[in-house]
Amino acid sequence: MPGIDECLLEAMLLPGALGAGVADWTSGLALGAIGQAPGGDHEATAAETAELARTAAEHPGFGTHAEGAAGPAATGPPVEDLIITTRTAYHVLCFVETAFDSSVFLHLWLDREEGNLALARLRLRDLAERLVL
Amino acid sequence: MSTAIQKPPREARHGVSPMLVRLVTERATGALLRDRGTLYLCDGQVVHAESPAAPGIDVLLTAAGRLRPEGWQEAVDRAGPRGRVGRFLVESGQVGDGELEMCHLAALHDAAFFALAPTSGPTRFRYGVAHWMGPVRPVPAEAVEREAARRRELLEAIWRCPDLDTAPVVRSTRPPDAPLTPRQRAVLALADGVRTPLDIARLLGRPAFHTLVDMRRLAAFGAVESPRAPAPPPDTHAWAARMAAETTTPDVALLRRLRDALEATL
Repeated sequence: MPGIDECLLEAMLLPGALGAGVADWTSGLALGAIGQAPGGDHEATAAETAELARTAAEHPGFGTHAEGAAGPAATGPPVEDLIITTRTAYHVLCFVETAFDSSVFLHLWLDREEGNLALARLRLRDLAERLVL
Repeated sequence: MSTAIQKPPREARHGVSPMLVRLVTERATGALLRDRGTLYLCDGQVVHAESPAAPGIDVLLTAAGRLRPEGWQEAVDRAGPRGRVGRFLVESGQVGDGELEMCHLAALHDAAFFALAPTSGPTRFRYGVAHWMGPVRPVPAEAVEREAARRRELLEAIWRCPDLDTAPVVRSTRPPDAPLTPRQRAVLALADGVRTPLDIARLLGRPAFHTLVDMRRLAAFGAVESPRAPAPPPDTHAWAARMAAETTTPDVALLRRLRDALEATL
């Protein structure tokens, strides 16, 4: 049952990992961060990335919540993760599903030369699941 | 390589209140009491926050059934006197470390947003007071205050109508300008013209601020009624003059609120 810090430390073990964070896509809150931030500021990165995560999470074209999921127990957007490829890096945003009402996601910043996108995506999904064990 | 978010204060207008700066410098432990909430410090870091305007962590954990109310009560009864309720919840296997941290940080920043609101009156600090929750994931006081300021700006950027935060939520009769998200529909489904955003937040087990964000967006889309026209820039003199020019009858409710606010600061 790892906490936020343990999850972030594990994310940083991935080859090519530059920085990682846990943020809330409704408020833009940075719950935790490690390593470098793309703009040098983890809080600003969380707030800005949250906008992107929210757009994806709530985009009607990407599907809707499970049918009949009006109750408060229904959590998690239909989107599992979001991958952005820049000229030098990958950004993987992975949504965390919780048994309480939340809007949390993991954000991993990965060097494009050294990083392995497939591995990072699977590891991040695994971390997102273990964060709520 | 610590994951605590440390950073110098950004700008003067985000300025950390002088009292908080002093408490951080002296690594104080105790409770910072303000009109709309309380921050609990341990060694100069914020370990907990409470506000009557924000659902507590117990509501966030129990509303959706993640934790049984009896489980919470048992933790408070057994570990409260030792100030270790958070640890007890984890050690008794009721919630995971990550869940507790996520939920507690959500509740902490939610309550701090109201506790640190600039309209709050006097600030007092009671040394030595600890909260029975016990430390979960301490946050630097500067980060808490920066976050509260950022949240205020976010609300203003979405739709400038502070009265939406506290007024009963009234659904609009006309169709909204944009499709609503599932989370917004859940909020709107509970709007009955009586419940306030805080009431709705409690029922959904969501932080109050998250509901305020939805409320501003819903008002911007025209899905809920704004209590009155969006407020002009915070130039109170111009606003008062305009109100005086526009209204022939005095706004009794507004005058009462003004009187209460003035009396509260005396």
